[in-house]
Amino acid sequence: MAKAVNGKGGTTQSIPLRYGDDPYVWACWLYYEDQLTQGEIAETMGISRATVNAYLAEARERGIVNITIDPERLSALTIAQELKRHFGLDDCLVIPSDGGAHPLIERLGTAGARVLNQTVRSADTIAVAWGRTVMAVAERARRGDLQDVSVIQATGGTTATFEYTPEACAACLSAALNARCVNLTAPALVSSAEVRDLLLQEPVVAGQLAALARANRLLFGISSLRPNSTIHTSGFFDSVATQLYLEKNAVGVIAGRFIDDHGRPVSGPLDERTIGITLDGFEGIETKIAVVGGIDKVAAILGALRGGYIDVLVTDAATGRGILKADGVAELDRKLAPQRGPEAGVVNVRSAVKKFVNKPVDVIEEMLDGIVHAHERYLRPIDGHRRALVAQRGPREGKVGLVIGGGSGHEPCFLGYVGKGMADAAAIGNIFSAPPPDPISQCAKAASGGKGVLFVYGNYTGDIMNFQMAADLAKAEGIEVRTVITTDDIASSPVEDREGRRGVAGNFFTFKIAGAACDRMWPLEACEAVTSKTNRRTYTVGVALEPCSLPQTRTHNFEIGPDEMEIGIGIHGEPGVARDRLRPADEVVDAVMDRIFSEMQAGSGDRVAVLVNSLGATPLMELYILYRRVRQRLEAKCIAVHASWTGHYCTSLDMAGASITVLHLDDQLAELLDHPCDTAFLSIK
Amino acid sequence: MSTFDSARLIAMFEAVATRIETEKDHLCALDGHIGDADHGIAMAQGFNAVRAAVTDLDPGAVAPSDVFNTAAKAFLNAVGASSGPLYATAYMRAGAALKGKEVATEDDMAQAFQAMAQGIEDRGKAVVGEKTMVDAWRPSADALAEAREGGASLAIALQAASTAAAKGAEATADMIAGKGRSSRLGERARGHVDPGAASAAIIIEVMAESLSGAGGPGAP
Repeated sequence: MAKAVNGKGGTTQSIPLRYGDDPYVWACWLYYEDQLTQGEIAETMGISRATVNAYLAEARERGIVNITIDPERLSALTIAQELKRHFGLDDCLVIPSDGGAHPLIERLGTAGARVLNQTVRSADTIAVAWGRTVMAVAERARRGDLQDVSVIQATGGTTATFEYTPEACAACLSAALNARCVNLTAPALVSSAEVRDLLLQEPVVAGQLAALARANRLLFGISSLRPNSTIHTSGFFDSVATQLYLEKNAVGVIAGRFIDDHGRPVSGPLDERTIGITLDGFEGIETKIAVVGGIDKVAAILGALRGGYIDVLVTDAATGRGILKADGVAELDRKLAPQRGPEAGVVNVRSAVKKFVNKPVDVIEEMLDGIVHAHERYLRPIDGHRRALVAQRGPREGKVGLVIGGGSGHEPCFLGYVGKGMADAAAIGNIFSAPPPDPISQCAKAASGGKGVLFVYGNYTGDIMNFQMAADLAKAEGIEVRTVITTDDIASSPVEDREGRRGVAGNFFTFKIAGAACDRMWPLEACEAVTSKTNRRTYTVGVALEPCSLPQTRTHNFEIGPDEMEIGIGIHGEPGVARDRLRPADEVVDAVMDRIFSEMQAGSGDRVAVLVNSLGATPLMELYILYRRVRQRLEAKCIAVHASWTGHYCTSLDMAGASITVLHLDDQLAELLDHPCDTAFLSIK
Repeated sequence: MSTFDSARLIAMFEAVATRIETEKDHLCALDGHIGDADHGIAMAQGFNAVRAAVTDLDPGAVAPSDVFNTAAKAFLNAVGASSGPLYATAYMRAGAALKGKEVATEDDMAQAFQAMAQGIEDRGKAVVGEKTMVDAWRPSADALAEAREGGASLAIALQAASTAAAKGAEATADMIAGKGRSSRLGERARGHVDPGAASAAIIIEVMAESLSGAGGPGAP
């Protein structure tokens, strides 16, 4: 093999004749047939590794290389995708048909164990039901590296002699996971409701059931009510009673409870005599894993899916297809039909921004869970709803309530400013999306001290609509609401259209002054007036260096060239209003300050407050460099800095960039700015 | 002459949810040009919540207006943002238009459609030409009304509505925005279809398909 000369002045090796004149084919051959690494290929071809990478990627795009997936596996994958989409599952694993080489139960057990191994985390409490399939999973699961895992029996016990009793399933799984095993030391089925009630009062049983209520995972199988199903053959239920459920259209049993074809609970004589998890108890469990297969169970599985009892489904291809057909998914056959052309089975490789995320759909709830614990000194959820947070020491009789809010992604806005002397409550929306009216009106109610409530939020169409609807709801409850919409971003619209400007980091000052006015027990009109004045005297311009990315997409939501920056960027990563070449820090500050000075009528001897704010990824080091120049520019005009803040105060996820805000103080505003407050992110003594 | 019971409306919402889910990435990509690239996520979140809420209803026990009101509430609480109040208002108005009816006639459904378009205009205060979902909804509602006045069946009229919505959405590419976050972009918004108008055209198309058919698979 000829060696290429690399490095500066190196020559690209001429292409061996057999590859024609196509370097893509050559690169692909070396990679896929000769199995060289990309580094070795680079050396062989006399090109850079990056070029090899680009060749390989483009070869896939152009169809020079087709990566195909075994049709049985592809079909299973298609059914899994369709099940996940159609029933809104967190995930779905469908095992391909293997032509009957191994028993279905064993294969389901292996697949279920793989899902469980991936799902279970340290400190989990796993409730486990019973049955042949559950046992098959327990026998194959293995995670020894976790700490503080508990496995708890989801139903009471039995004296039956079969090998997959509730006790045996729990014991086997706890051994596999190196977990503490909590048995439910009561029978699954007792002779009467009175006996059940007595047993439930026993402290030991009550403690075990309390532990069950704390479970965050559930592993269960599903039984059909066909004559040969486990439910009948195990002798677990007496057949007379089962008949009564069948007459009421029950189609299946999950963890000892009967459901119909829409997943609705079917009541009957056994309900009052059953000890174990209830169907209502399913609701609070974060991950409910059902491992189940067999065409005879399609109706039962469909019922469980429709009832929302399953988050993760493990099944086989034939059963999966049966479920989708039974629910009228017509396009499945078309999707399963072999496709022609390069797109069939092609695996697309794309890069994604790295994030600390579990499941993208859970980011808001998990963030809020963290917030309410991290800042419990300052705030708490209203009636358990974490999208409406109220200050621990804020609302009080006779005080105007201050309610703020907006989309997530701007942390520490808005939650960081909830506390004594600042906001009484904050409503939190999805990422970059206004909160719905419900949590806002909950905030209004919680913040109300009988003297009215002030809403302060940024000028966005969605926020305005939702806050207005919430104001209507509050008014219907007899709460007077006034609103100040912030419009401090002076780059977002010309001065003639002040009302059209968006509200950005200047919110920090507006919230502070509004909170101080409310805390001083000013009447609603006065609070509104001074808040409005603050907004009019607050000037912000943002500059982005790199775009941000949403946890759900993990792709940049716009692009900025390598030598560019975006001036007038909003806090939602909306493209700014102008693009400029990247300039030194001082020049950037000068451009921003020139713009602010052109609007702010501040003269020598005036006082201002300054906020140099990171949009997310920009570190304090750079913010201080910016602040240094801001200070120089203000001093040159003999404008005094009364107070300043530098840091993360109103961000835009992971955007690199900063905003500069100047609040033009007067005596009244300076006094209110100095008024004490105590919140998670701003404390003035 | 077709009639529309709760089961058919539930099936319609299920069909919309299914289609929006498949268009999610496309809508996000459109939004990436002039917004924050999450429109598809928000719409999918909203309609998945709608699907969950309406399929929970017992079609035999609820009236068509209840189906719309349930959808409104579910969408609003799942989404917030600007599409939340807009579609919630649309569905609440449709619910009001169908109030007291066990089964909706073709005339009733045509009125409900008009009420939806009007609700969106009233809530968002946008007019045609401002690069919003109104650019799909208004011409669509007008096309439906015109077809009905000419004596067309609801199925034919909905077809006209769907075509007009698609055309209206397409036309937003030549506009600069007058409402919403993209209005700050000025000329830079030109050349891109408004994602809200694009999703509106998809929703109207699926409604037309679903309501023109012989009855959906959602009927148990």
